[in-house]
Amino acid sequence: MSGTRLVVGPFNRVEGDLEVHLTLSGGRVARAEVNAPLYRGFERMLRGRPPSDALTLTPRICGICSISQSAAAAQALAAAGAHRPAPQGALVTALIHAVENAADHLTHFNLFFMPDFARPAYAAHPWHARAVARFTAMEGAAPREVLEARAALMHVLGLLAGKWPHTLAIQPGGVTRSPSARDKVRILSSLRAFRQYLERTLFGAPLEAFIALDSPAALQGWDTGDAGLFMEIAADLDLDALGRGAGRYLSFGAYALTEGHGFAAGLWNGAPAPLELSGLVEDTAHSWMLGGPAHPASGHTEPDEDMRDGAYSWCKAPRLNGLPFETGALARQVIDGHPLARALAGGGVLARVAARLLELARTQVLMEDLTAQIMPSSRFMAPAPDLRDGAGAGLVEAARGALGHWVRVEEGRIASYQIIAPTTWNFSPRDGAGTPGPLETALEGTPADEGATLAVQHIVRSFDPCMVCTVH
Amino acid sequence: MPEIETFYDVMRRQGITRRSFMKYCSLTAAALGLGPSFVPRIAHAMETKPRTPVIWVHGLECTCCSESFIRSAHPLAKDVVLSMISLDYDDTLMAAAGHQAEAALQDTIDRYKGNYILAVEGNPPLNEDGMFCIVGGKPFVEQLRHAAEHAKAIISWGACASYGCVQAAAPNPTRATPVHKVITDKPIIKVPGCPPIAEVMTGVITYMLTFDRLPELDRQGRPAMFYSQRIHDKCYRRPHFDAGQFVEQWDDEYARKGYCLYKMGCKGPTTYNACSTIRWNEGVSFPIQSGHGCIGCSEDGFWDQGGFYDRLTKVNAFGIEANADKIGATAAGVLGAGIALHVAASALKSAQKKTEDNKTKEEA
Repeated sequence: MSGTRLVVGPFNRVEGDLEVHLTLSGGRVARAEVNAPLYRGFERMLRGRPPSDALTLTPRICGICSISQSAAAAQALAAAGAHRPAPQGALVTALIHAVENAADHLTHFNLFFMPDFARPAYAAHPWHARAVARFTAMEGAAPREVLEARAALMHVLGLLAGKWPHTLAIQPGGVTRSPSARDKVRILSSLRAFRQYLERTLFGAPLEAFIALDSPAALQGWDTGDAGLFMEIAADLDLDALGRGAGRYLSFGAYALTEGHGFAAGLWNGAPAPLELSGLVEDTAHSWMLGGPAHPASGHTEPDEDMRDGAYSWCKAPRLNGLPFETGALARQVIDGHPLARALAGGGVLARVAARLLELARTQVLMEDLTAQIMPSSRFMAPAPDLRDGAGAGLVEAARGALGHWVRVEEGRIASYQIIAPTTWNFSPRDGAGTPGPLETALEGTPADEGATLAVQHIVRSFDPCMVCTVH
Repeated sequence: MPEIETFYDVMRRQGITRRSFMKYCSLTAAALGLGPSFVPRIAHAMETKPRTPVIWVHGLECTCCSESFIRSAHPLAKDVVLSMISLDYDDTLMAAAGHQAEAALQDTIDRYKGNYILAVEGNPPLNEDGMFCIVGGKPFVEQLRHAAEHAKAIISWGACASYGCVQAAAPNPTRATPVHKVITDKPIIKVPGCPPIAEVMTGVITYMLTFDRLPELDRQGRPAMFYSQRIHDKCYRRPHFDAGQFVEQWDDEYARKGYCLYKMGCKGPTTYNACSTIRWNEGVSFPIQSGHGCIGCSEDGFWDQGGFYDRLTKVNAFGIEANADKIGATAAGVLGAGIALHVAASALKSAQKKTEDNKTKEEA
């Protein structure tokens, strides 16, 4: 089967549209090309509008991570005006954002990732009957429990942010809602209920026990809850070896608080390094985009309507100092220095999914801490003056990884707005030097033939792609 | 048409108790504005009618409608609805993938020809022959036309499908086009909002299943039961509007007192939706309750009306609140200068009131 070309897609249970073109050789993937076939042109729409429009328009790039977009836009506008949000406003923003990220991790594991193990192709495996009972799409027991727990957790978003998706409460100066002492109690009780769900169902044990895991061997011994079922499957299918990455990670730092980030910002390439973005470019060699490589602060987005040969995606290829970086929960936890994540660095499907579970547990603890710090009598907004001229970046962490907004305002109007989303990093096409993006690299060497692309599906989903954000 | 299970069969199979089922029926009756006498009717319909096949397709969009839908209020609503409509094709939620998924779509179309509801989330971009949104190797607009051909009716979920929404914002780079401008020969129900409220989504579907017909639509094609009142009409901050008490700046003392957000750009007075009654995230809150004005996301063109924080200004003047209501009840979007006037009037009223109070005090 040498040189067979295969198109995998459209992918279901993925946010947005995605196609992967594979060249197979000897039953393995020899080359992968990832195509994001959806383009809307948000960056072009934003030009010429009042800066505050970004707060309403950019969240609508994505219905799953709208708060991440909202937080990035608010931060970019604040930076452009050299403005700082009220500390308690930043705290509530962090809490709102953490709730969304936790909900996303939960949705990914239960509704997007695990249902693949309920497929008939795995019927001979000892865990299959349990996977079917728990995770069959729309029928299994887990999705119903998850939707209920998630909806209850999102009461916090209702309380603090009015509505979700497409929250409006986050502003450059803080948040529009000042939580009362009563709200604080309600939030704590919602969080308590969510912890109970996590401990009873997802982990089957206290969160702190999962957070205390410090080695792959300890992780492998986890045998309770849905996490335990996943570990059993992962061991049986050797998911650690599947879809391994280059081990280069990037995090913009999650939850910007006055005293620093909830999860640290930085880079990892075998060792930690500080986050330094002057060498950042978006390469367009294989994208249907015009214009050469450029830093997002000076870049622009102009689709190549001829869809020229040689290019194969609407997605640009972000590179830092010429290199692709993987981003997401694994990257965040490695960079934040969690011992289990550090030990999993460079890993594949298992590492990405386990890091997401780890982060979910740690985020629950973080949300409890943040809520405890809410001081109802303080200011939650330091209103930002009208922005006439300035440039700035909003760097946040969506559930799926690093999200950046770069804005330039001239005479009270947006002159330039560029966005690099997490999946833009992870699912980028090749760059001018021919270096493939992280998913393309992870797919190379994967066993696959025309009838069987399950391994490919697992790898793609292990990144928790959000295609509507990727190209916007 | 092949034999299809009833909703009730499916729900019982999924372990939903009769008690919960009845509770759902009463909640839905209430949400639809129907009296208690309709509860048995809804229950009867759900027990006896075959569930309606639904094909749910995604164009240019952000999936916020699906997200809203799977989070509906009554913990059961999503179960019930997910079971009563057989979501035969939905690429965010279903199990099948790739070509198997495309086959499932064709299979559903063939099996239920003329009987399925096509739910559309997002819209087709028409520039460059539709190449900005490709599904299964083909432009989404082709999938949409194909699926619409044999549909009984179409539901346009959200502002994208109904009006275009933000991807149609000037200069509309991809020529994102609402569904009714592409499909012109089918009944279309618009359920706008970005996203629509979950209960509104489930309510519309339940109504169609129960009464076997489309809900009554307003002139814009929206279900009248959810879109006949302005946010402003039922806003809990309305007394502050009437009293001329307004938030002047984010997080000021008036914001803390929950005054009206009109001066912060709230579009509640011109927006027809159920946010102030049904609310969001299981009835917890809605944007105005979070201290931010309404942006009017269920109205056509909300994305291109100048800044989102601009005060409503345009339109015919009218003096006092009684007139505002009369006008509001008959025509949408006719406010603005009227409100500005009213602000002045109510400020005046409160000033007069103060003077009178003082007088009374003095006299006493």
